[in-house]
Amino acid sequence: METISPNDILAKAETLRNSLSTGFRDEIVKSIYSEAERVAHRAVKTASDKKYDLDQKIDRLVTSPWTGLPLMLVLLGIIIWLTVSGANVASEAIANLLFGLGDLGRNLFNQIGAPWWITGFIWDGVYLGLAWVISVMLPPMAIFFPAFTFLEDLGYLPRVAFNLDWLFKKAGAHGKQSLTMAMGFGCNAAGVVATRVIDSPRERLIAILTNNFVPCNGRFPTLIMLATVFVASAFPPALTSFIAAGTVVGVVLIGVAFTFFMSWLLSRTVLKGEASAFTLELPPYRKPNLGRILYTSIIDRTIFVLWRAMQTAAPAGAIIWILANIPYGDANLARAIADWLNPFGLILGLDGVILLAYIIAIPANEIVVPTMMMVYMGAGMMIDGPGTSAGIFDLLVNGNGWTMLTAVNLMLFALLHNPCATTIMTIYKETKSWKWATVSVVITLGLAFLVTFLTASVARLLGWA
Amino acid sequence: MYYLAAVITVALILFLPRIGLLARIKDYRAAKEREQMEDALKHLLDRENQGRHATPESIAGTLDIARDKVTRLIENIEAQGLIESRGNNLHLTAEGERWALHVLRAHRLWERYLADEARMPLNKIHGEAQRREHNFTEAQLNELDAALGHPIRDPHGDPIPSREGKMNRAEGMSITAWQADRPARIVHLEDEPALAYQQILAAGLRLGQDIRIIEKNPNRYILSDGESEFKLAPAVASNIFVSAIPESEMLKREAIPLTELAHDQRAQIVMLDDSVQGFTRRRFLDLGLTPGTTIFPELTNFFGEPRAYRVRGTSIALRNDQAAQIWVKPV
Repeated sequence: METISPNDILAKAETLRNSLSTGFRDEIVKSIYSEAERVAHRAVKTASDKKYDLDQKIDRLVTSPWTGLPLMLVLLGIIIWLTVSGANVASEAIANLLFGLGDLGRNLFNQIGAPWWITGFIWDGVYLGLAWVISVMLPPMAIFFPAFTFLEDLGYLPRVAFNLDWLFKKAGAHGKQSLTMAMGFGCNAAGVVATRVIDSPRERLIAILTNNFVPCNGRFPTLIMLATVFVASAFPPALTSFIAAGTVVGVVLIGVAFTFFMSWLLSRTVLKGEASAFTLELPPYRKPNLGRILYTSIIDRTIFVLWRAMQTAAPAGAIIWILANIPYGDANLARAIADWLNPFGLILGLDGVILLAYIIAIPANEIVVPTMMMVYMGAGMMIDGPGTSAGIFDLLVNGNGWTMLTAVNLMLFALLHNPCATTIMTIYKETKSWKWATVSVVITLGLAFLVTFLTASVARLLGWA
Repeated sequence: MYYLAAVITVALILFLPRIGLLARIKDYRAAKEREQMEDALKHLLDRENQGRHATPESIAGTLDIARDKVTRLIENIEAQGLIESRGNNLHLTAEGERWALHVLRAHRLWERYLADEARMPLNKIHGEAQRREHNFTEAQLNELDAALGHPIRDPHGDPIPSREGKMNRAEGMSITAWQADRPARIVHLEDEPALAYQQILAAGLRLGQDIRIIEKNPNRYILSDGESEFKLAPAVASNIFVSAIPESEMLKREAIPLTELAHDQRAQIVMLDDSVQGFTRRRFLDLGLTPGTTIFPELTNFFGEPRAYRVRGTSIALRNDQAAQIWVKPV
């Protein structure tokens, strides 16, 4: 018997390939589908179209301009309000617990006679960094991610993509970018990973580079603090949480506007090209599965993101403590750096302390506010600041020369500035390119400087500040 | 001391082998030179396929370089045995033709890739392929070819040379062997003998024209393209090669693009446009948009697009430029 070697088979395949018609792939898929259809027809019975009719009615409601667009805004508002008002209480409880544990640890170290700098470094630096990040980040995420997953499970999110696609098309981007933007509210790094649903490389890159323009949970605390102290304080206390949420929604919408603008700019300059292949499945509405929602949102998303944030928060906490405890002149190193940065900060309508806080907080944006408070109050570790918003107002405005311009520009800066270290790493991992990771920093930071500089200049020219 | 350090640094930056500035400039110029040579070879091949001869002037015009540089370029290529000049005319040697086909293959495979996988707009791919076609090895091209599923034609419909360096010429048969009532497309005009070729061109027949035989007898052939009639002697007509009009175009004539379907109007998918290849086609097929499938628009965005279509029990939203590539027949 003649033996056939693998090479013979390959050679035979090579010759047969040339005789194939060009449409043979279509034929293969077609035959697979007709076989599947045959099987399904034998096994599946469809009772009635009632479900389909209901889906149709809902679809018309959520995609019409008169009900669909307002609904999107209302849902966004509700989620942010839930996050803002719900997280507040939980954050405080967690903070009390964790800071209490920290006190215990510090006392223990003092009792066994450890040197002050070991106690300080470990408990006031590393541990405090972790405690801050957990207490600030965990509650909003534990509220936001289940809400997001609920809408996802319900089947509503693809409709948002459907509604907004025309805008993305105008910007030369992909409609599914609205999904990755929504994910960015939870965590920009998670949003960058979520861009995998966009299959065109050009449009995916646009989604990655602009994801940072939606503020994530880690940046909410800064926005909420500013909204509460500078905006909501002018209203009755009962309305505080609504006004704060409303202000944050406003800032978020500015961020969305920047997303479109940047996408448009990118697709006309460095990422030139036409909008391409857009296919979006609109799944039938499903009753959300509570167990799955909790599992996905808590385990896959919240814990995952928190763990990553903790890894970067610990070293950041250490550095902050060191800066605050090395004496320099008549204060400490942190104060000295802040003073040195101050002229530049003032040009941008900010100040040196804010810039310092943002430089130290590159690993984790959650610690911006405690770091600012630490420097303003001359403390040796991150602190909560005055307990009431009136106290904070007094400290910032009367004690450190803040104006309304500082508050507005800090909001803009918090919205536009560079991605956190985790997000930058994620961008590198997803694009496999340091070039694009660098571009993402340059774009955002450049825009943040430009916008704050412009608002500051305009405000000063008009005599507002 | 500082001067010495500065001088050494500058010297290193300039003269370091491989990464020094001079070495870089040399590499760059070598690559540029090779690119120019390959472009010239391609131009010669192109001319030969058109039955014309390339001249130093035509090279200068196509490559957009000065006359004196062309002379040097030609001397250079001739010295490598890739072309030979007879009078003012330039011809490819066997080796030169092999090389030219290699570059042409690279160009057309790249066009296929840019159109199908990178999904660049069609009017941009030629320029991009022009930049990328150089400095590829045979093995690299074979890999690209396999990754693209061994395409036969580039996105403009031109044949891609095979790995053996053969042009997959459009086959066809002489119109004298063609069935009288069957529509046909001219795929090749034989240019030898020249007299017959002249007559065909003078009659107004051209490549790619769709024609039909109106009358044939031993004395003459009458062909029609639907508007005008062409009368030719059988000996001349035998130099016209035709093949069947692609099935897809016949199907298209009775179909409308999916975008023109009214709301809730049911239709059957006839075919996916031939211009949809690679990634987009695979995605369409994956979604079940196969010929014969029932489809209807069920939801339209308030700005006109995207529209959602119900197909196989699922709702799939498409932008209009995608939907326009799906041909359907209302039922």
